[in-house]
Amino acid sequence: MNILVILKQVPDLVEELEINDDGTDLDRTWMRYIPSEYDEHALEQAILLKEEHGGTVTALCLRIGEVDDTLFTAAARGADRLVRIEGDFEGISSRDAAAVYADHIRRGNYDLVLTGVQAHDDLNGPVGARLAAQLEIPYVGVVSGMHLDPETGVIHLHKEYPGGLLTVIRTELPAVVGIQSAVKPPRYVPIAKIRQASKSAEIGEETAEPQSLTPGYTVRRVFKPEGGGRAEIIDGAPEDIAARLVSIFSEHGLVR
Amino acid sequence: MNGTDIGRSTLIGMPPWAIVLFYVLTAAALAIFTWGIVRLVRKYRMGRRAAGRRPAASELLRTFFRAIGNVTVLRDDLYAGIAHLLVLSGFVVLFIGTLIVLVDRDILRFVLPSLVFWEGDFYLGFSTFMDVFGVILLAGLLMLAVRRAFSRLPQLDYRHSFREEVSRRSMAAGDWVFLGLIFFIVIGGFALEAVRLVAVRPEFEVWSPVGWWASDILRSAGMDAGEASSWYPVFWWTHSAASLAFVAYVPWSKAVHMLLAYVSLAWKDETQNASLPAPPENEAGGYTAPTDLTWLELVGLDACIRCGRCHVRCPSSLAGMPLSPRDVILELRNHANNTLLHLRGNGNGLHRMTGDVIPEQTLWSCISCSNCATHCPVGINHVPLMVQMRRALVSDGSVDEQLQQTLVNLQRCGNAMGQSDRMRAKWTKELPFKIRDARREDVEYLWFVGDNASYDPRVQGYTRITAKLFEAAGLDFGILYEAERNAGNDVRRVGEEGLFEMLAEKNIRAFAKSRFRTIVTTDPHSYNTLKNEYPAFGAEYPVIHYTELLAALIENGHLLPVRRVGGRVTYQDPCYLARYNGLENTPRTLLDYAGVELVEMKRRGRDAWCCGAGGGRLWMEDIPAKDERPAEQRIREAAALDGVDTIVTACPKDLVMFTDAIKNVGLEGKFFVRDIAHYVWEAIEQPIPEHLEKEA
Repeated sequence: MNILVILKQVPDLVEELEINDDGTDLDRTWMRYIPSEYDEHALEQAILLKEEHGGTVTALCLRIGEVDDTLFTAAARGADRLVRIEGDFEGISSRDAAAVYADHIRRGNYDLVLTGVQAHDDLNGPVGARLAAQLEIPYVGVVSGMHLDPETGVIHLHKEYPGGLLTVIRTELPAVVGIQSAVKPPRYVPIAKIRQASKSAEIGEETAEPQSLTPGYTVRRVFKPEGGGRAEIIDGAPEDIAARLVSIFSEHGLVR
Repeated sequence: MNGTDIGRSTLIGMPPWAIVLFYVLTAAALAIFTWGIVRLVRKYRMGRRAAGRRPAASELLRTFFRAIGNVTVLRDDLYAGIAHLLVLSGFVVLFIGTLIVLVDRDILRFVLPSLVFWEGDFYLGFSTFMDVFGVILLAGLLMLAVRRAFSRLPQLDYRHSFREEVSRRSMAAGDWVFLGLIFFIVIGGFALEAVRLVAVRPEFEVWSPVGWWASDILRSAGMDAGEASSWYPVFWWTHSAASLAFVAYVPWSKAVHMLLAYVSLAWKDETQNASLPAPPENEAGGYTAPTDLTWLELVGLDACIRCGRCHVRCPSSLAGMPLSPRDVILELRNHANNTLLHLRGNGNGLHRMTGDVIPEQTLWSCISCSNCATHCPVGINHVPLMVQMRRALVSDGSVDEQLQQTLVNLQRCGNAMGQSDRMRAKWTKELPFKIRDARREDVEYLWFVGDNASYDPRVQGYTRITAKLFEAAGLDFGILYEAERNAGNDVRRVGEEGLFEMLAEKNIRAFAKSRFRTIVTTDPHSYNTLKNEYPAFGAEYPVIHYTELLAALIENGHLLPVRRVGGRVTYQDPCYLARYNGLENTPRTLLDYAGVELVEMKRRGRDAWCCGAGGGRLWMEDIPAKDERPAEQRIREAAALDGVDTIVTACPKDLVMFTDAIKNVGLEGKFFVRDIAHYVWEAIEQPIPEHLEKEA
């Protein structure tokens, strides 16, 4: 079984985020990127499947910022093949990215594509779905567990719904799955293993020209929320506070 | 009386078959002894080479005298030390006595009869000497037996700290066999002498005072010479058999410590706790099997006599966490014997050494305070062992979520808090002056501030005080700003060697870009690794702690304490200052300069009780503990001192731990923790002496 995991680089929130001069995007000049947390879960899930059923895991990254460390870390975790796609991908929309991924997948031989269900820099979450649509294979998102039957090539996906409901969804392979969380949280990879991987693992390089598909969307404005609310702190003895509360409530017509 | 009449023969009156039997038994005992030793040596040869250098002859000799002098046993427990000294000196003297008789009677008598010396005045002196040391030995044994039988000392409580189902009954029985066997041999020896002196009664034997006195008792109880003669062989055989049994027994029991403790102490690498050994070159990069241990570590496991000194000094153990250094050593010994000697429960995956034999929670309970290794009388280095096993866990990715997050933070941002490295020097913004950037300007002192002192709001205030003190003294200093990384002391002790190396390399690159003469650190943990571990990575700079620098500044007149601050405080010795690096007096001197009255806690200096933050424990999830945590216990200890309302420390991690602990024990607002810089500042603050203003 061949699994592809799509890893996306997202801004590191440890750093203060700056907005660019146009006010339409983050200022990416000094941006520090980290792998998206959901994608790390997708990778972990892929490794768990491989450990159970064998096969290969390929980790794929668009070249946004510095991605080699992310790929080598994936190799240290257990990914067998590393692919970096070069191109002008800064700020690429998930829709356009899906086309690039689809192109790679068509040329490859994958049974299962795992990716994070969303990424915190767009929160659109459609990469998996768009990818599946382009490839005309099934997509299931917000998955937090799975069970594969290698005999029949059928995969059972676990999904949590609000209200404490759990469903199991059955689909045939190949398929695209958007991972909310792996069965087990991503394991720690010691630096020694990453360093070792960076010496022994090879990154396969591909290039792609991202197409801007239409109709698309444009970001009109990116800004920090402006504080507008007022708060009144009520001090004093409990009786006085209670009296003040009652008077506020009656002012607003909440009590009579 | 003619000198040559004084003396006696051995084996006289024994039938030839008995003499033959005796020598056959002696040979058998020696064979069993040798077999036991060979078996142990073969086991040790399965261990790795120890990295340390071979001790020089002078060191071997020095350790010999230290061992004979019981230095390590006397050091921390006077009663046990004296008892052990009595037993050891009695044992050694009687053993040498036996050798003398052997040489004289079994060798010289046949080979060079003219050289026979066990007679005359020598015989008399010898007799007295042996009797006296026999009594000394008995007195020591009695002291130990009383202690073991009647005291409720926690170090003699064998209950297992992390494997409750393990019965230690046979182990306790083994202790009594050891004591009892020696006791039986000595008492038997005196009884034998007494019976002999009833049977034949040469006047000169009054020089054997104990035997003579005992023979008097036997005579007054009605034993006559004939009766004694018939009893004599029984006593002789009993005594001889017991003694030979003891010889055979040594390498198979805790008695073997008399040989192994010496090896362990003589070869011990004293620097190994402060400067951890490199990982083994196996796949895990850590200890996963007994063959990963060095031969010296394997010797150490066998040398352990379960005295429990580590057990009663381990803060994690006393907090009721699932760790006791003693139990770790004993479990490892068992496992090493099972796998290396008996090939039981071996490397077939049934019992992983790291994880099963020593559970993960046990390994993560260690706070690397080194109180165990510091007090081990047989020279075991526990901390490197724990770290080597942790390395195997880290290699497997077996770390808890909080620790994992911290390690990822350290990878990405270079600090444990996960804050931006660009914010590292944000604390300086509130200073009335700008601290120089050591990467751009030459400075004399490079101040390595450290994570907690830079980022933790509970500590930053003190960091600024230290900065102001340096500035007030006109010190030529700078910091690395965002180029500084966590020094990695605790990262290394967590077992993440690769990350430690990465952090060290980054710091060392930043050092190389800067021009300075001396590194001064705030954190004792940084101090330890910069001073003791970085040189192996090529960074050899003088490293001092800020307390040392402050003391020097006062002594050189750059800081003038003009005011006695007053108050009664106690002082917490940070592990990495006092125990690891012997820095005990300097911080106390600072308190003295500041005019603060210091009331000492009982456990201080190398005995100090750790706050529980070390070895990366600060970064991990809580491990269930049956009792109060180390920091809370320490606050109670400090608060119980008469008139003391403050615990002073010189370690940012202590500040963090004790701030929380004070809240947890309900002493908030009543008891305080302060950094030592606070007192120095108060002492010099008003007014800043004129000459310093001019200099500045």
